[in-house]
Amino acid sequence: MKTGMLKISPGFEEIMPPEYRELVDNGPYGKNYGINDLGSYKELLEEHPLCAGCGLALSLRLTLASLPMPEDTVIVGSTGCSALAFPQVALHNIHSLFGNQNAVASGLKRALKLRFPDKEKDVVVIAGDGATADIGLDMVMQSWLRREKITTIMLDNEAYANTGGQESGMSMQGAVLNMAPTGKKFPKLSLPEIAQTCGCAYVAAASPAKPKQLAKVVRRAILVAREIGPTYVQLYSPCPTNYKFNPKETVSLIKQREKEGLYQSKEYISQEAKAFLESMEVKK
Amino acid sequence: MYLSVRVDTEKCIGCKICITSCPEPNVFIFLPEQKLVEVNESRCKACGLCTTVCAKEALKIG
Repeated sequence: MKTGMLKISPGFEEIMPPEYRELVDNGPYGKNYGINDLGSYKELLEEHPLCAGCGLALSLRLTLASLPMPEDTVIVGSTGCSALAFPQVALHNIHSLFGNQNAVASGLKRALKLRFPDKEKDVVVIAGDGATADIGLDMVMQSWLRREKITTIMLDNEAYANTGGQESGMSMQGAVLNMAPTGKKFPKLSLPEIAQTCGCAYVAAASPAKPKQLAKVVRRAILVAREIGPTYVQLYSPCPTNYKFNPKETVSLIKQREKEGLYQSKEYISQEAKAFLESMEVKK
Repeated sequence: MYLSVRVDTEKCIGCKICITSCPEPNVFIFLPEQKLVEVNESRCKACGLCTTVCAKEALKIG
């Protein structure tokens, strides 16, 4: 995308909404901003309807701020809490049917490769745990097995939060939710291991409690997906509404869970991806 | 009257940790010359997440 496309036609400056004017004057496009620059430029998101203290909103905000090329990125989302914020994202984005996000992203990536053979276009799937690990697991795994060059980012809030709080495949064993009052009977699915087995070149688990680590893994995942193959990032994003903790405790809860060993940040890089990332770091 | 976070400008050192811990976009604005943060009160949902991460106790909900 040419960043000049964003410019407002002369004479129309005054009637454009102030948010749009702010985005044009002070937006992130073509400037290579990262999370360290947050607060000094207009972010990708405007207001969103997610709950106060939402871990998913925090993960989404940090993820969007760490995209390497926001102007050439297309985000594919799916039904769920994450989709509530998508209309406010100042990026190209697609809302797919529940669980179809990786199939849509595969087709889109191939189409973009044919249409723009000389340009880098990033296709990033951002979906919740219901769409990635339960309903859409088939499509997600098949896209990895086909080695589609897309990044899959799962915002893991351990529940179907948008529909009132059902248990999902990612809920912890014994988790009591609004619509799972007797507690979940089987353990949490280990999707990073599945991703590794299915051939993802880069797999990571992180959380918004460590924003710099989150930004690093998201950036690496997108860069590896451009050249090598599919990548997967899992972001632990607790839900204060359905798990009924105080919204101000979101970050401290992640740290506590990490201390107890119930959540672990991990990173797996394939040999090929490692060599590629090292060559990128040498270039810098 | 809505609740919003308030910044104590004497205690704030401009470490930006509140900016990267806030789930709401564009609530905190960083002022590089003064090395302080400013709050856009109309966007704050008063969840209090920033107050728990601020090591200098410069933020309060009120």
